[in-house]
Amino acid sequence: MKLVDVLAIALVIAAVGAFVAGEVAIARADDLRAVYWLAVGVVSLRAAVQVARPGARS
Amino acid sequence: MGTGGLLERLSAIGPAAQASVPGVYAWGVTVAPMVWAQGAPVLAKGAAIVALAMLAAGVAGEPRLAGRARTASLWGFVVACAVSWCAAPAGLSPLRMDAPRGLAGVVGWALFAFASAAPAVRRSDDVEPVADGSEFGPRSPASDGTYVVGAALSASMLQTIGWRIAGAERALLVRFVALAAGLAVIGAAAEIALQRHVPRAMPSSARRMRRALAALVALAILALAGLLNVALD
Repeated sequence: MKLVDVLAIALVIAAVGAFVAGEVAIARADDLRAVYWLAVGVVSLRAAVQVARPGARS
Repeated sequence: MGTGGLLERLSAIGPAAQASVPGVYAWGVTVAPMVWAQGAPVLAKGAAIVALAMLAAGVAGEPRLAGRARTASLWGFVVACAVSWCAAPAGLSPLRMDAPRGLAGVVGWALFAFASAAPAVRRSDDVEPVADGSEFGPRSPASDGTYVVGAALSASMLQTIGWRIAGAERALLVRFVALAAGLAVIGAAAEIALQRHVPRAMPSSARRMRRALAALVALAILALAGLLNVALD
């Protein structure tokens, strides 16, 4: 397993943490903070998939 | 045709057909009892029927349209269920949704998310050897299970938040966000696990990092903004 594979897994874990923080913020009616954390989660997942993808051309 | 034969034929069609079984279960636990309760509006009933129709359309369209039919069916089903809940938000209040039903709903939607995001289970005689002689497809190494179980546990954890919210609209929003986030996490984990089996040359780590640069920069900007916000508070 390469370092970038570890980074991809770490980004997914970070995304889950951000989604949890976002949901807690929504439950507390703190909408601005919720949008921030959900955005962090989505971008983290996107980065994880981009890092993990081998790609068609090499 | 027995139940086993029906399930085998469904699994042979593809992922949308496999996902239709837990989808119907999740619909039966969390949507149907709510919209056919007394006082539910016609819009909620119509959206619930559309949700089932989307599942059926996904099964029917997958042999010809493959991924497009699957994506349209998945999100059509989820959006139609959300419309149904929005049209009758009182059905999700703690007074109407007791803990056992809530738990059954969590399990149902988690199974649906897993079946939607995971690749279709193929029969052993469908195996095709790839160029290097290894088999790609039906048999997953044990490490794939770690990805899948981790993602499923994460999606389940997301579903445990916000069950004591009094307001029906806020409870509905939390459920919808939890569902969407769970689907996204399981989808990303499944994609990362599957990429390890793709029989193509793996680019260098530097190239993979360059390709993810835009997303990583956006993430760094968000992290910086968060840190600044904390510092200024």
